[in-house]
Amino acid sequence: MLLSLLSKRSLEADSRDAYGFALRPQHVQTYREYSHIYKEEEEERSNKWKNFLEHVEKSSELCSPEKAHKEELQAEATEQKAETVPESGEEGNDTISGKSVSGCSSERDPEKELQHSKETEKSKVQTWTLIRSSLSSIENMMSFRVRKGKIMKDKQIIVDKDHLPSEAASLGGASEDDVEEDVCFSDALNDSPDAFTAENSVSDGFSDGVKVAGKVEAMGGGVPNSVQGIGTEEAEEAVANGAPTEPFFPWKLELESLVHGGVPTDLRGEVWQAFVGVKARRVERYYYELLAQETNTTESVDKDNSSGVPRKWRRQIEKDIPRTFPGHPALNEDGRNSLRRLLLAYARHNPSLGYCQAMNFFAGLLLLLMPEENAFWTFVGIIDDYFDGYYTEEMIESQVDQLVFEELVRENFPKLGLHTSHNHQSSYIWFFTFHETVWYSSYYPSMLMAVNHLDYLGVQVAWFTGPWFLSIFVNMIPWESVIRVWDVLLFEGNRVMLFRTALALLELYGPALVTTKDAGDAITLLQSLAGSTFDSSQLVLTACMGFLAITETRLQELRDKHRPAVLAVVEERSKTGQVWKDSKGLASKLYSFKHDPIVTEEKNTTEEGTTDGYVSHSKSGSRNLDELLSGTSVDSEVDSLPELQDQVIWLKVELCRVLEEKRSAVLRAEELETALMEIVKLDNRRELSARVEQLEKEVAELQQALADKTEQEAAMLKVLMWMEQEQKVTEDARINAEQEVAAQKNAVHVLQEKYDKAMSSLTEMEKRVKVAESMLEATLQYESGQAKALKSPRAATTQGNTKKLGILSFGLGWRDRNKGASDLKSPSEQREPSSPKDKTGEEEKGNAK
Amino acid sequence: VLVTLQLVLLGDSGVGKSCIVLRFVRGQFDPTSKVTVGASFLSQTIALQDSTTVKFEIWDTAGQERYAALAPLYYRGAAVAVIVYDITSPESFNKAQYWVKELQKHGSPDIVLALVGNKADLHEKREVPVQDGIEYAEKNGMFFIETSAKTADNINQLFEEIAKRLPRPAVSSTQNP
Repeated sequence: MLLSLLSKRSLEADSRDAYGFALRPQHVQTYREYSHIYKEEEEERSNKWKNFLEHVEKSSELCSPEKAHKEELQAEATEQKAETVPESGEEGNDTISGKSVSGCSSERDPEKELQHSKETEKSKVQTWTLIRSSLSSIENMMSFRVRKGKIMKDKQIIVDKDHLPSEAASLGGASEDDVEEDVCFSDALNDSPDAFTAENSVSDGFSDGVKVAGKVEAMGGGVPNSVQGIGTEEAEEAVANGAPTEPFFPWKLELESLVHGGVPTDLRGEVWQAFVGVKARRVERYYYELLAQETNTTESVDKDNSSGVPRKWRRQIEKDIPRTFPGHPALNEDGRNSLRRLLLAYARHNPSLGYCQAMNFFAGLLLLLMPEENAFWTFVGIIDDYFDGYYTEEMIESQVDQLVFEELVRENFPKLGLHTSHNHQSSYIWFFTFHETVWYSSYYPSMLMAVNHLDYLGVQVAWFTGPWFLSIFVNMIPWESVIRVWDVLLFEGNRVMLFRTALALLELYGPALVTTKDAGDAITLLQSLAGSTFDSSQLVLTACMGFLAITETRLQELRDKHRPAVLAVVEERSKTGQVWKDSKGLASKLYSFKHDPIVTEEKNTTEEGTTDGYVSHSKSGSRNLDELLSGTSVDSEVDSLPELQDQVIWLKVELCRVLEEKRSAVLRAEELETALMEIVKLDNRRELSARVEQLEKEVAELQQALADKTEQEAAMLKVLMWMEQEQKVTEDARINAEQEVAAQKNAVHVLQEKYDKAMSSLTEMEKRVKVAESMLEATLQYESGQAKALKSPRAATTQGNTKKLGILSFGLGWRDRNKGASDLKSPSEQREPSSPKDKTGEEEKGNAK
Repeated sequence: VLVTLQLVLLGDSGVGKSCIVLRFVRGQFDPTSKVTVGASFLSQTIALQDSTTVKFEIWDTAGQERYAALAPLYYRGAAVAVIVYDITSPESFNKAQYWVKELQKHGSPDIVLALVGNKADLHEKREVPVQDGIEYAEKNGMFFIETSAKTADNINQLFEEIAKRLPRPAVSSTQNP
């Protein structure tokens, strides 16, 4: 729940992811790129889950009305039981009673818790909070798993470690388990007929029930057979164990696919609790009693023999608290106090385990998502149930799992896989749905090559898978991916997802790993690649869909096979005291089955070992040889290994090493062969692709040129058209101009003609003027002669003559003015103008103008 | 000449194994480093004066006692084991002695052991005298040095000395072609 207190802004400013965890500087950019994808995925899954929960809730309400009363009564009854047997209050629940019982208890709880906290705890503890009712159906289904588990435990009489050292009496002591078992059975039997709605409604034949049934059928049809197979297996198992068969939840497969897609962030805390079946696990007041003991014992300062948490665990927890997600904004003083309380409470709850490094991270993660007590019960579920025997003093199961994983990668994926194609994505689904009987797919070339290559480099798979498994991938892959893996792991209720995820990582990064040249580079590369697995959906889908062959049943078989070896080593160690006799432990066990297949391969080994001369140069090879030599020399120091058995073990180990060397030689040869093939293929491919590329380039160039040419052509055409038009225009213009010129010539011609005419008429007129002048002169001479003769009588006619003279002078003046231009005869040759001719001369003048 | 050296760090929880490696490989010191779960791997290459280059492949293991069950996985093939204790914690010195015994019995016979007293900067809180470290190391034929990952004191010297002290035949046997 601490997570909700964080503001997004402060996270981004600090280069932290959405969960408040620091990002490595080299991952900040990648994270930013993926955060958009995460956002989209989150939206999508919120919608899907919302629809799903609504649907489930509806179907679970079908038969509620009359049941509600019953349940209330039952709840009261169980409430009374709860006084004497605390757990029973949690057992008597089902779909609806989840509400009613919790209604009662949650009213009651705070008071008690308040009392406790007043008495014992000074700092505040977040109170128990129920998860939302829409998830109660899921919780109910998962609770069934918890109960079944408990019953099986009782049957196998596994030593009960859950008692409280000092206050066992208050919890019913030794009789607790028996009572619990009874309650389990009776409750489960009571529950099954009426509680589980789907079954109920189908059998009752309600109309709605029919709908549900129809849906079940529809869903069943689309589900891969193998998944159904697992389902029935579980059921058979349940029957075999005498537990009541798990009721049928029609939406379980739908839920599974939703979980593979991820749980929405705001639901995650509660969904995880539902998956772990926290409500069925919880014992009221238990957590607070554990805390109360804690405060009591701290008063009696660090007594190792007190009932409190032994000093070494307390010290280890104190050491590790500041080193748990250092700098995480939610792990302030309060957050760390919560973490401390939770871990100390668990150490007291399970004193034989106490505290193991890695648990601090799990507790821290859970505290981010849910209230403290809820986190405690979820934590208990994960450590006690899912990872039973994993973090104990001897870490037996974790060692067993490493051996199992080793066997899985070596034996279950036959070498056939090597020559299969890489595009197996679609084919393996087909493979599993139609060829169920073939358990192990050969479609993991990358993973297989990776493992072979690691073998050759002398890298043990357990070197990195050990930390992966023990940390459940916390701090190993990006947080979004961690949480997505946890979604599936908590849903499935076992460690199958650990194996599948590890295989998926090898499959995803196999091709890259094969390129490394020494052990250091390989491990460094794998660490950094795993650390940048931001594509959480790809990882989860590869894990869940790609490795369906890894099932809990199969893992259990393998665990049973390898457990004795681990136990033997551990026993040896405890017998001989602190230091191991066979210190090779897990390492030697890894050999012990590694050399199984070698026997058959031995002949090949010797042959190929000699041909591949450089193998002996290889680092691991030569070291093994050295060790062998020194190992034989150790025989002289046999006093340090007093028992023959030890020598035998020692020799066995040495033998294993030699065999290992041979094996690595074979593997190297094989690997080289495949590598060569790959290289040849690659080479060919590279050459081809280079040529194709070149050709493509050429084609592209040609096409480009073609395009250029056509473009040019078009441009040219355009230019041509334009020019043609221009030409036309100019032609037109020219014609026009010519026409104009012709017209002007014409005009000039006409004008010339007119001019000539005018000139000719002018000369004519001048001639006439001359004639007129000469005539006038003659007349004037005549008249003057007359006037001399008869002067006075002709006064009137003189007047008329003066008039004539005026006209004559005008005519003379005009002629004079035109003298230069017309190049006429000198004015001295004057002629006598006649009066009518004067008039025509005037007319001529007007025309010329 | 390139020499590859496999090195494993062992010692009680919280003595500063991871800090020593981080100081040596990345030159950093983070007072609030994470708990190591299982083991983690880092590598670093240094050049020696005699013109050999040494590539350290370092396994940094988890300190809590129960993780000792997994330790053989990492020290079995190692050429060098660096056993670290905290000079302010006698308990961690005891733990270091446990590791020495374990390695003498079960490590590879020619494994080179180094004893390192870390947190030398906290000399005012010292509880393990230098002399104790020196004596114990001498008695067991180990190389001894006190370091401080915080101040980087003697960190590079530690690794350089280890590289120098490796017997030459052993070095040439781990030589890469």
